[in-house]
Formats: sequence, C-alpha cells, structure tokens
Amino acid sequence: MRVASASAAIVLLLLAAGVGFRFHAAGQLDARFWEFFAWPTTWSFLGRGLLGTLTSAAMAAVIALTLGLVLLAGRLTRLRLVRWPSIATIEFLRGTPTLLLIYVCFLVLPPAGIKLSTYWMLTLPVSLSTAAVVAEVYRAGVLAVPRGQAAAARSLGLTEVQVFFLVVFPQAVRYIVPALVAQLVIVVKDTTFGYVVTYGELMENAKVLIANYHALVPVYLVVAVLYCLVNYAISSASRRLGRPMH
Amino acid sequence: MGEVSRLLVDYGPAFGQALFLTWKLTVMSFVAGVLLGMAVTVLRLLPVPPLRFVLTGYVEIFRNIPGVVLLIFIVFALPDLDVVIDYEPSVILTLSLVCSAFTADYLRTGINTIPGGQIEAALSLGMRPMRIISAVVLPQAWRAVVQPMTSLLIALMLSTSLASQVPFPGRELTALVSKVATDSAAGMPAFAVAAALYVATGLLIAWAGATLERKVRILR
Amino acid sequence: MSIKSIAKSTMVALAIVTGGSVFAQGTPIDAAAFDALVARGPVADAVTIASSTWASKIKEAGTLRLGGTQTSNLFSLRNEKDGRIRGFDAGLAQLITRYILGDGTKYQFTQVTSSTREQVLINDQVDMVLATYSITPARAEKISFAGPYYTSQAGVLVKANNQTIQSYNDLAGKKVATQAGSTGPAILAQYAPKAVVQEFQTHQEALDALRQGRVDAYVTDYTLLLNALSLGTGDTRLAGTPFGAQDPYGVGLPKGSDGVPFINAFLKKIEADGTWAKLWTVAIGQRTGSTAVPTPPAIP
Repeated sequence: MRVASASAAIVLLLLAAGVGFRFHAAGQLDARFWEFFAWPTTWSFLGRGLLGTLTSAAMAAVIALTLGLVLLAGRLTRLRLVRWPSIATIEFLRGTPTLLLIYVCFLVLPPAGIKLSTYWMLTLPVSLSTAAVVAEVYRAGVLAVPRGQAAAARSLGLTEVQVFFLVVFPQAVRYIVPALVAQLVIVVKDTTFGYVVTYGELMENAKVLIANYHALVPVYLVVAVLYCLVNYAISSASRRLGRPMH
Repeated sequence: MGEVSRLLVDYGPAFGQALFLTWKLTVMSFVAGVLLGMAVTVLRLLPVPPLRFVLTGYVEIFRNIPGVVLLIFIVFALPDLDVVIDYEPSVILTLSLVCSAFTADYLRTGINTIPGGQIEAALSLGMRPMRIISAVVLPQAWRAVVQPMTSLLIALMLSTSLASQVPFPGRELTALVSKVATDSAAGMPAFAVAAALYVATGLLIAWAGATLERKVRILR
Repeated sequence: MSIKSIAKSTMVALAIVTGGSVFAQGTPIDAAAFDALVARGPVADAVTIASSTWASKIKEAGTLRLGGTQTSNLFSLRNEKDGRIRGFDAGLAQLITRYILGDGTKYQFTQVTSSTREQVLINDQVDMVLATYSITPARAEKISFAGPYYTSQAGVLVKANNQTIQSYNDLAGKKVATQAGSTGPAILAQYAPKAVVQEFQTHQEALDALRQGRVDAYVTDYTLLLNALSLGTGDTRLAGTPFGAQDPYGVGLPKGSDGVPFINAFLKKIEADGTWAKLWTVAIGQRTGSTAVPTPPAIP
C-alpha cells in the first residue's frame, strides 16, 4: 500500500507541475498579473464587493427562514383554502430557477409598475426561492417528530398553535439545523447573480480589477477561492452542528 | 390567457427549442456528472492517502463554488491558459463538475449506511476489493441515494439557466424569457410559460424519482 | 529557465522599479489634470436648477444616481486604489454632478452593461446613464436622450497577425464579437450579414474574446476600439477605416424627462467655454496620440 501511496503522490505532483507549467507557458505567472494582490487597496476593494454579496445573502437568509415558517404553517393547516395555495406557492418557487426570478424582478415587474430598488431586485427573489426550500426542510423536520409528542401535548389541553410552536417545532428545528445551515451556502451562491441586476458585489469588483490589470486568470481564481472559503466555512459549521446531540 | 396564446403564436417554436435545450443540457451534464462522481467515489475508497486528500479537496471545491463563478472562469479565464472550450461544452462541463461533487458526497453517505458486516462477509468469501465495491457496495449505495439524487437532478435542471450568462448561440428557457422581456412587452406571459415548463419538468423528475425509490428501497 | 523567460522576468522587475512603464496598461489618464478639470467645472444657479424638475429632484436628494461603466479604459475606468472613475464619459458625468450639486463626487454609481442600460432607467434605479450610449430610434421609444455629446462610427478590430480580414467586407463566415444590446448587431446585420455574431455583455469581455481567439474580429464603436489600441500591447490592429453611419452618443434619461433641455443647455455651455475640448484632450487625445480636437456634434 505504501508503494501505491507513493506512486499516487508522484502522479498527483506531476499533475500539479503540469498545471503550473501551463500557467508558466501561457505567461500567467508574470509578476504584472499578480503583483497587485500585494497591495492592500486590492483586498479592500474585493472585500467591499464581498461585503455587498454578504449583506444581500444575510438579509435573504433571515427573510427565507421567516417566510419559510409562514409557508410551512400554510401547508400544514387543515383549511384547504389556505393549504392548496401554499403548496402551489412552494412548488412554484422551488421549481423555478432563482436566476429566472431575478430576471423577472429586473425586466418584467418594473414595466408592470412594481419598481424595487437594486438591492431588493436581488435579495427578494433569492429570499423567495430559498423560503420555499426552507419550508420543505421544516416540514421534513416536523414529520420527523414522533406523533406521540403532539398527541401528548394535546391531551394536556394545549391549543393547536401551542402544540406546534411549543412542542413540535422546537424539536423539529433540532433535526434540521444542518440542512438549514447548508441552505445558506445556496443563498450565497445565488447572490452571485447580483451583477445581473447591476447590484455591486464581488464579481463586479473583480471585473474592475480585470479591466485595470488584464489578469483574468488570477482575479477569477482569487474570486473563486474567496467564495469557496466562505461556503466551506458555512458547510463545516453545518457539519459540526450536524453531529448527534446527546 | 389571451396574452399567453398570443405569445405562443409569436414564440411557440422558440419555447419548444428552449425547453429541448434545457433538457439536453440537464441530461448531458447529469450523465457526465454521475459517471465522474462515481469514479471519484470509488477512488476515494482506495486506501491511498494522497489520492483521498486531493479528491476530498475536489469534492469540497466543486460543492462550494457558485456555478456562475465556475462557468465564467471556464469561459473567460481558461483561454488565457490556452484552453479554449466552446460555450455549450463549457456549460455542460461546469454543471458536470458541480454534479460530480454532490454525487460523490451523496454516494459516500449511501455507502456509510451499508453494515460493515457485509464487507467482512464478502472478504471472507474471497472477493477482491474492486469486486466488492462494484458488486456489493455501489449497488446498495445507489439504492440508498435515489432521493437525494432526484433532488440533485432537479437542482441541476434549474441550474441550466446559467447558460443565459454566456454568449450561447441557442437560448434555453431563462435566456429566452430575458430576450422576450427585453424585445417586447410580453415579459409576464413569457415568464409564466417558462416557469410552468420548469415546474412541470421538476415534478416529472420528482415523480420518476419517487417511483424508482419505491422499487429499489432497502428496508433496514 | 530559458533565456527568454529570464529576460522577461528582468523586464518585469525593471518595470516595477521604474514605475511600470515597460508593461504599462497603455497611456494612463492624467488623474491630476482630470480631477482638476472636474473641480473647475461650472455650477448652476438656483434658478436654472428650479427650472427643471429632474435637476430639482437630484438637488433635493443630494446625490445623482449615475448609471455608467467602470471597465472602459478611455471612457470610464475605475481606479480601485482611490476608488475614482475617470475617462471621457466619467468626466461628463462628474461635471453634470458638479453642475447640479456643486460637488463632482456626489454621485452614486451603478454599473450598467450594454443590455441593462434602458432597463435601469425604466426601473428608476438611476437618474441618468452615461456609457458610450448610441442614440437610436428603438431606444428613444423606451427612454429619452440628451445630447449628442460625441459621435463615432463602427470599426473592425482584429489580431495584429490576422491578414485575411482587411475591412468589414471580409467578415463573411467569420466569428465576430460585438456588444449585446449595442448598435453592433444591427450594423453587422447591414454591413456583414454573413458574419457569425457573438454578443458579449461588456466591451472588456468582447476584447478578451478577441485576444483569446474565441472570435476573429470585434466590431463596435471606433472610439471604443481606440481604447483597445491605447492599451499599447500591440497585439491588435484596426482593419480598414471606420464605416457605417455616424453614431451619436447621448445621455440617457428617463422617458419624457425635462432633464433633456437641462443637460443640452449644460452641454452647450461646456462646449462653448472649452471644458469639452479639455476633457477630450485629457481623456482621449493625449492617450491615443491625436492632437486634432474634434468639433462636438450639433445639439438639437
């Protein structure tokens, strides 16, 4: 096995060297393509872009978590007049690409008289499509709570609303925290479409650096790494929360 | 409804083509992504630490990178490394890479549900490791991951809207809506038709997945 | 390491030491002259502002919401070090900001692309768009234009080593880049109907596509192509002379806005007092090696 490990390591190193050589042969290792990453101005400029991404993502996450609860309540109610529209809304928002919803907020709604600000043109569609998914995640959690819990609470004389919010939902949340946090990764990914509605975020600032330094490979590489780091941090947080609690 | 029928008179064939392109991109990237994901999974099972390390990195990178960032890197940055890939293959490559990372992740979870005793039993029968993987581990893992893979296929189908972000000669559904909304006042009906097609496709996939799941489910 | 690459890295080191002139990104704009020019721009009196509801609204808000670009070298490029945007369009936008608000920096910037320009005005996301924006009848149905403040024609940019394309007549069957939502697609349909057109969102992306060999030629406003030549890397050249109809650039305003006469009066003012010519010299003339200041187009 040690032989296998060693040869695998050699093959992988050769592969990395090949990629490195490709960079070198294409002139992408030239100092002029990288030197500006040594300047603090570059990082504060990229940082401001990332901040734009994250302010939209954070708001979208808060709205989605709340609205998801509303949709869940609508979906679980016995009133058909509320339940069916809730199911339809969830399926519609879940089944449509976020990018399409963003285009609608930018291109279709304003001529119809609904004018959102640039921030909301991005944040609202991301919130809505996430809310629908979150509602389904909540539902999975609620269904995972043993039936006897609700029955016991009811027999103690709690109202349906009390049963749900005091007994069922708090337990459901414990099952689904990892899935909810993982949903944050998708929110961050969706906000990368900000440039579609002219919202200033990381991708736009990356394009400014490219126009100034013509360094497509380094800049897009750094942007990709930044996004991966943010999302990796969220993912590992979700995995940590996902460890069984006893 | 009048608006929708007028739209379909003007753009009916275009919607047909757009739906077909959306399906084509979905199927091609799913097939490529699943095969790639399976290869990654199998290689990760081998007791070769450097390989595991690199493949774990691979999975983490493509699970966490936003699709549009990857696509823009492939389309606009790779040519500076003298790698020029045409637009349609670029979209399929992007989606397959992302799909493969999630497939590898789900399959590993599926494999973890297999009781260790089965492997020991297979070993005691004198089966070779690769044979155990292909005959015992993978078939069961696949059966355990039908549900997440269905969700992944739907997510992938929705992600084909990424193609609207590169100068693609053909238009998939999202690009078509954006074009109709820019060129005419028919944005709302165009959106309604496209959304209906997406939702219908998604429900179709979900139904197929649920049917498959019922057939192959392993009760433990 | 080959001798060539050693020579190359020495050059880079030299370039850094000497202030980056060897691999400089073309001739950079004279930032101090540009800033000084904007700071000397005229300021409107209260009566002039009050005569326009468009200007009054901006005055009241205290900021001008500007739609522009930050990635176009000659016309509007953001310097990420000081955060300022400079170039011909950027200069006009800041002069207008100063004219209304008394301070050229009081604008709130939104990055537009050639296919989002009408929409941000319709959506009321910005007060005006200044982004090498050609006045066309189709656009004038959705928005209003002040100006023109500049005219250009279409040109063909190819790689320096391309011998087969000598003018727009040679584009049949070739892959040609242009900007989505610009006048490019229509001009190509008229002058090179057999070209295989690819539409890009920004000037920068189209330029990169040409450099990377995705396309054989890039057709767009001639002045924007000067932009590419001004980068001084020597890997592109213009194929033939400018062609097609005169392409006037205007200031995009919301449909029916009374900002049109307001901006037209402002443009006449800066054209008469020499500010326009000075801005042209700083932003375009000095950087493309041309000394003959053009006559600004007639404003209706």
